[in-house]
Amino acid sequence: MIFEFYMTASQILFYVIAAFILGCGLLAMTTRKIFRSAIWLLFSLVGVSALYFWLQVEFIAAVQIVVYVGGIVVLIIFSVFLTQQSGTEMPKAPVKRTIASVFAVLFGFAFTYLLIYKNNFISGEGTFDAGISKIGNQMLTTGEQGFALPFEAVSILLLAAMIGCIVIAMKTSTNQAKGENEQAANTNKK
Amino acid sequence: MGAGSLIALTIAAIAFSGIAILVAKVVTKATTNKQKGEAYECGVVTTGPSWIQFNVGYYLFALVFLIFDVELIFLFPWAVVVKEIGWLALIEIVIFFFILFTGFLYAHKKGALKWK
Repeated sequence: MIFEFYMTASQILFYVIAAFILGCGLLAMTTRKIFRSAIWLLFSLVGVSALYFWLQVEFIAAVQIVVYVGGIVVLIIFSVFLTQQSGTEMPKAPVKRTIASVFAVLFGFAFTYLLIYKNNFISGEGTFDAGISKIGNQMLTTGEQGFALPFEAVSILLLAAMIGCIVIAMKTSTNQAKGENEQAANTNKK
Repeated sequence: MGAGSLIALTIAAIAFSGIAILVAKVVTKATTNKQKGEAYECGVVTTGPSWIQFNVGYYLFALVFLIFDVELIFLFPWAVVVKEIGWLALIEIVIFFFILFTGFLYAHKKGALKWK
């Protein structure tokens, strides 16, 4: 029997991208320096955006890069730098925990695989068009398929998020300033 | 221009830089010393660890940046169809911007963007 091993170039590309995402994710989990962990996460998210490009949903890929790679990871890196131990190596995880996490990963994989395997995927008719002009048209029109009101509501959501994070972050920073002042006063007393 | 050409390009790019590095490794006679490990012409040698704690102010800037980053995402599809739709699109984006601008004004008023 001749074993036919045949993959299209597109399939090869998918496996390369998938291996890249999984490899970087694994390194983000296993590296002992928390800052390097953040950088590996960044590469993993770049790989996810590559997967979106592979699916030919360019807009989602751009969103992935701008928001996740450019925004969220930068935020994570800043919060890592806010801690005092960004440069130190973390202690090695105990063997018990490693075994438990391996089991958790295997269980999660089996569960997800089962769900995907059992699900009846229905192949749709026609071509899938997620072009940016179509998104823009739907986003700005008010007709049957228009999303003008949700689009404006998003700005209020963003406004609420911005005010919320300013209130919370400013509170901690003023508390810290107060603490520093008290410390200075104490040292002056001494 | 399909996935095949992309793979070919990737392989060519890796080979292009890889062969250059390999040839340089083979041809040159490499020696190592302590000076080579230092950052090249980057000022004086640091004393103590360089992993210092950041100012909290950076975090606030990053948060505000993230919000406007998400706002930017909505600008991409808008910019593509603005000519097609015309005035309505312009009015909608002005409302969108105005609501977010009040958030910026709030941040400014609260002194969130002041460097302390």
